[in-house]
Amino acid sequence: MEIIDTAAGSAALGAATEELEVRGVTWRRGRIAGIGPDAARRRYGDVRELIASPANATPLVRLNHVVAPAADAYLKLEWLNPFGSVKDRTARYLLEGMRQRGELDGRELVEATSGNTGIALAALAALEGIPLTVTIPSGVPAEKLVLLRMLGATVMATPDDLCPVDNPRDGAIALARAIVESPAHRGRYVMPNQYANPDNVRAHYETTGPEIWEQTEGLVRTFVAGFGTCGTITGVGRFLKERDSSIRIVAVEPQAGHRLPGLKNLQEARPPAILDRSVIDEVIQVPDVPAYAMTTRLFREEGLIVGPSTGAIAHAIAALDGAASGLTVGISPDGGQKYASFYADLVADEAAGS
Amino acid sequence: MSEIDMLASPDTAKTGPSGAAVVALDCKGLLCPLPVYRASQAISRLEPGAVLRVECTDPGSLADFPAFARQRNLTLLSATERDGVQVFELRKVADA
Repeated sequence: MEIIDTAAGSAALGAATEELEVRGVTWRRGRIAGIGPDAARRRYGDVRELIASPANATPLVRLNHVVAPAADAYLKLEWLNPFGSVKDRTARYLLEGMRQRGELDGRELVEATSGNTGIALAALAALEGIPLTVTIPSGVPAEKLVLLRMLGATVMATPDDLCPVDNPRDGAIALARAIVESPAHRGRYVMPNQYANPDNVRAHYETTGPEIWEQTEGLVRTFVAGFGTCGTITGVGRFLKERDSSIRIVAVEPQAGHRLPGLKNLQEARPPAILDRSVIDEVIQVPDVPAYAMTTRLFREEGLIVGPSTGAIAHAIAALDGAASGLTVGISPDGGQKYASFYADLVADEAAGS
Repeated sequence: MSEIDMLASPDTAKTGPSGAAVVALDCKGLLCPLPVYRASQAISRLEPGAVLRVECTDPGSLADFPAFARQRNLTLLSATERDGVQVFELRKVADA
């Protein structure tokens, strides 16, 4: 078998080069053609293939110490998605929907986001060469801003009081909308709009929900997620209710003025258009203090390096009556590495003995 | 540099009759809150005593800029309208 291993040699053969199969490896005269993706071997063509789906589900990990012995509760670790959060799924579906509707052609993306959606959109937009601007409330941790800029996004940090007359309390959303709608921009900017885009719900209805059903072999009795964009709670809630209407869907809501990025209090913030309250059986409000206390417990007792919204969700799970809740699955939306600045106060307080 | 990057820097700087620098910001065709966002960025780069001259077409700006001036401790020198364009002149308060 003759293998020509120089580019010149390969070029000399002209366009019609022969392919040879050798022990599962395809050689083309001149160089290896490539062995291709193989999900069973965890070998992927590019990072997008790692975004979770029923063929590649995020893990369920049992809580063994922070809930009552009678409880059978799991967290679904969404931070094991390639860009670090549950929003990887959302961003993929948002962009795919826009692409199919021809909305991306020659346009630039703009989105208001607390961070994770921006990160996922930025990574996907970078892969596809689409410019992205992200408007963010000024309170998000520096780690998220740096990540977004590393991924090539233009970041506009806005204070909530940006529009002094209207004071809509979400300057980031108002700014993103203004960028899209300003006549001077001539329709050049398009917004995926995670709060109103049904593809957000569809992402969870088609992936997160079916994964939970399959991973629990249809035995899940209670599902817990936070009010944020409400895509997860709506999409998973809808899917699970269709399978078994007696499954309890529990939403976790932060208090007004909270410091739990990703979650929304629906009295102080406008409820997202995609929220379907009919699938929700119960709302549990979790203040910051117990949310952060539970986050610390998850680190130290379960070895889970999570964001503070996970602490809020786990606190709610622990507060449920374990025996009545049955097999419970809660979402862990993101990991803890981006929150060092948020956790610094907690550990400083400990060191100070308070 | 994308168009939005260019929003952050004022368009031109000249000197007004009083000798203070006058920086012009063209926000025509931009909807609220973009004009105040741009103004906020421009103001942060101004020397105290300098004047920012903003042109807007969005009707929302009529109320936005006086409120913005109060909020950011700026002196609203003038608010005029001509041919559908509102022009606001704001002075960054000189350090006491």
